Amino acid sequence: MAGYNLEAIEAAPLKDDVDIVIPTIRSLDFLEQWRPFLHHYHLIIVQDGDPSIKIKVPEGYDYELYNRNDINKILGRRANCISYKDGGCRCFGFMVSKKKYIYTIDDDCFVAKDPSGKEINVIAQHIKNLETPSTPHYFNTLYDPFREGTDFVRGYPFSLREGVQTAISHGLWLNIPDYDAPTQLVKPRERNTRYVDAVMTIPKGVLYPMCGMNLAFNRELVGPAMYFGLMGEGQPISRYDDMWAGWAAKVVCDHLGFGVKTGLPYLWHSKASNPFVNLRKEHKGLHWQEDMVPFFQNLRLSKESDTAAKCYMELSKMTKEKLTKVDPYFEKLADAMVTWIEAWEELNPPVKKTQSDGEDVKAKG
Amino acid sequence: MSSAEINKNEVDIVIGALNADLTQFLTSWRPFFSGFHLIVVKDPELKEELNIPEGFDVDVYSKTDMEKVVGASNATMFSGYSCRYFGYLISKKKYIVSIDDDCVPAKDPKGFLVDAVTQHVINLENPATPLFFNTLYDPYCEGADFVRGYPFSLRSGVPCAASCGLWLNLADLDAPTQALKTEQRNTSYVDAVMTVPAKAMLPISGINIAFNRELVGPALVPALRLAGEGKVRWETLEDVWCGMCLKHISDHLGYGVKTGLPYVWRNERGDAVESLRKKWEGMKLMEKSVPFFESLKLPETALKVEDCVIELAKAVKEQLGSDDPAFTQAADAMVKWIQLWNSVNSSARS
Repeated sequence: MAGYNLEAIEAAPLKDDVDIVIPTIRSLDFLEQWRPFLHHYHLIIVQDGDPSIKIKVPEGYDYELYNRNDINKILGRRANCISYKDGGCRCFGFMVSKKKYIYTIDDDCFVAKDPSGKEINVIAQHIKNLETPSTPHYFNTLYDPFREGTDFVRGYPFSLREGVQTAISHGLWLNIPDYDAPTQLVKPRERNTRYVDAVMTIPKGVLYPMCGMNLAFNRELVGPAMYFGLMGEGQPISRYDDMWAGWAAKVVCDHLGFGVKTGLPYLWHSKASNPFVNLRKEHKGLHWQEDMVPFFQNLRLSKESDTAAKCYMELSKMTKEKLTKVDPYFEKLADAMVTWIEAWEELNPPVKKTQSDGEDVKAKG
Repeated sequence: MSSAEINKNEVDIVIGALNADLTQFLTSWRPFFSGFHLIVVKDPELKEELNIPEGFDVDVYSKTDMEKVVGASNATMFSGYSCRYFGYLISKKKYIVSIDDDCVPAKDPKGFLVDAVTQHVINLENPATPLFFNTLYDPYCEGADFVRGYPFSLRSGVPCAASCGLWLNLADLDAPTQALKTEQRNTSYVDAVMTVPAKAMLPISGINIAFNRELVGPALVPALRLAGEGKVRWETLEDVWCGMCLKHISDHLGYGVKTGLPYVWRNERGDAVESLRKKWEGMKLMEKSVPFFESLKLPETALKVEDCVIELAKAVKEQLGSDDPAFTQAADAMVKWIQLWNSVNSSARS
């Protein structure tokens, strides 16, 4: 086996704390190549589309698989908040997971190599990103100061050097870049060949386009905010599932004092989706994002919203109030956001924890 | 954009000479400085004569020149690392590139010497994107673009005010950090340029920097002077303060600040442990500066860079003056700087 990585097989950091959520409508053959890195982890497969199709999971993986029938059975009337015929259905996997960390990856993504030719262990890097602090309050010009071989630069305030907890680790992609349809149409041959050897924190108050292809997050901290919206069949918009979740989650992280990192790890994105199909799917989004982005940039969550779930409920009200005038879709979305939180809380009931001194601790998520 | 496409007449390379012998420095930069006009400003406290090799289009300024232009009392504003600001003051060019005299060209991962001057000018000539973060970094460079989800209305970008480069070998770490990690050297070449988002604060280093003088020249203020300021970067914060002012004003006026490429190779110099022995008040000043800049709002009526600096100076005096005399002095220096800028540059304007 070319590029066989013994270390990776033995490493499998935090394998009991991570669930890997994979939405799929076609095939899971890609998992064969990922075996050295993902073999030890538990998979949650969310099968989109026709539930009668049997999707084969490669031998040896430990997994649970949910198709549309399962989603309907588990959520009942609340199942309508989960997208159909869209990668946004993956957030169902986030909801049913019980682990601390989620890693989600698309089924057309493969192992990439770093400039030295070594295969990239995406899970190990994401875990490193999530387990080390972020620095959203002050930008470090040498990027992630907690990485080996680097540090805070001169002038970086000492009071901010402890950093904050990292909630999201956003990885990148070599080969097919994550472009929108217009850009794809204009640059059909463009490939991302630039390996930028950095992880960095996205500053507080700054939004970014979060791509769901290679994404990890701390479910306990920010899970309820990672709702991938109403997309796909029966909806006027697609390919904005991860965008919506990313903007919402960033606002929630900024409010709660958590950090969001972007950069390494890279994976290899092999399939360019049809740009004409994409244009049809996202064209409303291209216009609506001109309203969605200022909405997120300008909103302020209240002090009382001190958990991700509470933040998200507040966000749903604001969505209804401010974005319905853009399109009635947003009223439906706002309702779906509430449904999502209700479903989340039903599947993840708050656990009353007691500290050793006997005081009750507010539940997470 | 290659060096052939850059208009060299629009650029001044300003070097603050804290070392008398610039032979090694200039010789190593010759391939990239050639064809450009150089302004070398000698630290007024440097006693020896400067040693400058032949073959450069260079104007050298020393204490005498400073006193002629700004008067003897104001010349003290330009001592130590701040000497290069005199070069910024008297330059007539659109772009300034400024590199510390202990830096030489770095090598990229392919082994080629990095043309820092060209990279800086490319950064300055292309728009910045401070209002939304692009996950593929600089969308204007070859092989990259804006990613899905990036609002189209923001894709024209804004003018780039400054380009902050980085350093291989001796990174710009502070004395405590370098003293703790004596062997640590920066070997990581991060192949990206990016815009630092609006409202985000950052420590801007003066070691390897370029800016659009026409756009923001007056905002590069030689103002904050540490009581024990020395002749190594570990013993100064003038550039960090300048950078905080510059970023804040750029944000206010809707300009962008980029960071990342180009790298320079920073030679070994000084002793971090030795610098650490000095009473290090810089730390305290930084801690006080951060909340100040975080909450500061310049008035909407401040539309010119000069006005922004004056308003900033006023706020510094009001809100930080009582905390430390260094701040009052900085505020006064900022006001004085604008007076000098206006007088020097109005006589230059036709």
